Amino acid sequence: MRDGCRLAALGMVNALGASTETIETRLFAGETGLRRRDDAVPDRTLYLGEVREPLPLVPDRMAHYRCRNNALSLAALRQFEDVARATIERVGRHRVGVLFGTSTSGVSDAEEALRHQREQGGLAPGFAYAQLEFGGGAGFIADYLGVTGPTYTISTACSSGARALASARSLIDLGVCDAVIAGATDTLCNLTIFGFTALQAVSDEITNPCSANRKGLSLGEASALFLVTRDSGGIQLLGVGESTEAHHMSAPDPTGAGAEVAMRGALADADIAAHDVLYLNLHGTGTTLNDGMECAAVARVFGFDTACSSTKPLVGHTLGAAGATEAGFCWLALQAAVASELPLIPHRWDGVRDAEIPPIDLIDRPRAIPFSTRAIVATNSFGFGGNNCVLILGRAA
Amino acid sequence: MLIPSIERTSAWAPGIESAEQLRAWFAAPQPLAADAHPEAKFLPAMLRRRCTPLTKIMLTAAYGACDAGELGDVRTVFSSRHGSINESIGLLEAIAASGRVSAATFSHSVHNAQAGLFSIAVGNRQASSSLAGQEDSFPTGFLEALTHLHRAPERKVLLVMGDVPLAETFAKLVDESPASYGVGLLLSADGSGPRVSIDLEPGAENAPLPPWPAAFEFLRWLDSGEPRLCIQTPRRTWTFRRR
Repeated sequence: MRDGCRLAALGMVNALGASTETIETRLFAGETGLRRRDDAVPDRTLYLGEVREPLPLVPDRMAHYRCRNNALSLAALRQFEDVARATIERVGRHRVGVLFGTSTSGVSDAEEALRHQREQGGLAPGFAYAQLEFGGGAGFIADYLGVTGPTYTISTACSSGARALASARSLIDLGVCDAVIAGATDTLCNLTIFGFTALQAVSDEITNPCSANRKGLSLGEASALFLVTRDSGGIQLLGVGESTEAHHMSAPDPTGAGAEVAMRGALADADIAAHDVLYLNLHGTGTTLNDGMECAAVARVFGFDTACSSTKPLVGHTLGAAGATEAGFCWLALQAAVASELPLIPHRWDGVRDAEIPPIDLIDRPRAIPFSTRAIVATNSFGFGGNNCVLILGRAA
Repeated sequence: MLIPSIERTSAWAPGIESAEQLRAWFAAPQPLAADAHPEAKFLPAMLRRRCTPLTKIMLTAAYGACDAGELGDVRTVFSSRHGSINESIGLLEAIAASGRVSAATFSHSVHNAQAGLFSIAVGNRQASSSLAGQEDSFPTGFLEALTHLHRAPERKVLLVMGDVPLAETFAKLVDESPASYGVGLLLSADGSGPRVSIDLEPGAENAPLPPWPAAFEFLRWLDSGEPRLCIQTPRRTWTFRRR
């Protein structure tokens, strides 16, 4: 098994909770954190995956970075801050990088700043460009931890978080870094809520992926950050597969060709066969187009026996954070895989199969799957602009 | 550490649109202008209509750095400090004014819009990244290109760096010389062009950046034959060396 890219620690915050312990319990029970909102868009009902817990305050010395996106990042980072700082001490802060993903950055705070300007003639006094620019999300984490290695933000819509992990692994392989804080954060904001509504992509119910009755996605916000090191053992990032659709800015190639290339690429990179994957976390947004093409591609690559689920009915589509959040869910499953059994995350839906969708194995209830020497899982992320990234994670028994 | 070779470069800025104009700029470098963008007539009309000024600039740089036959085969990295922020601000103002946004404008305001439109225009299905790194957007773009070369050393990587000035609303909050520009670099793991390494060194060298974009300073340096270029940003010091 390929070694040398360890996902050594994880912090998460999303609609299921603000700690991995809380999230894990609800995740494996298939509980949803989505809540109905009638006031987010005029004359519309939709469901949002909000983080309702109070968030830490960005320290005063970094007040220019204060925005909800960075507060979410901080909530995730704090969960493994001790381990991160010990690693930074061990390898040297120059050898630690930050690879961050986001599609919103501090837009929700910019919305406030613009409202202030309209109503009072000047931007809100606390507003600074560092909150809004996309590179600021990475810069914030680097400044907070005092690391001086390569620091940047990848923004490729819904594959951002997965790409951040892929690049982190490469920076370690290249010898540029010995450790990377890698992951992604996105915040609920008017821009994405109104934007996806304008695309007619948003459901007025909890998203229902792969169902004949699916009506679109539910949005969410989240942060998922990992400490990635060049150590062997533990949970490893085994494979990366990537492709571009070259089809349409906001719709996938309906044949699933691009998704297939990315999935096959990840398997080849991990040097494993499709049947070695015990669980596949689908991109599964609940839109007509995504689920049809994804399941077609999954059926071609994996057949019908690989256990699959989408976790977007539980936390929503967290956009730029989705790839990292879903890698986080895979990590939690691997972490909990004791006594050679991997817990599977249920696919929450209405159970009504779409006759046009190949009958892949959607996990219908909480259960576990046995394994002998190693547990391997995969996660799909397919983003606007046709950017695809598939990650494969695994651990030895 | 992987040392790429630079097979080809391209550049666009107002008044710097040909090889001769670029050479003249190398001989007498000065701050770039900010008030124009190319027409990008090489793009199909339907697609060109959906392109923002930044997209036309970055696609001009992209096409300029590749042979026609290569456009569909290269992996791509698009780096921009501000990306589509101006369009996002426009969308926020539209929401505030009318409670609605244009679906098309929204889907083209993602940071990877340039990468997505490029891939559609040339039928490129290879892996692609889009990034932003504050004042370090060019050197981190170069690093991200190296990660692509590392994962697929048999394929060239097209790195495009570009920006347009921030809209007035936020421009006063940022200390930078406004410029409209795009630079393209075609990198390979083992080609015949000049080999250039990148190193990130801690500490300041007291070598402040000249008042033009780092990517343009890189092109000037590449053309000059000097062995080393030090790019110092507020938080990092980067060194490029000819190998």
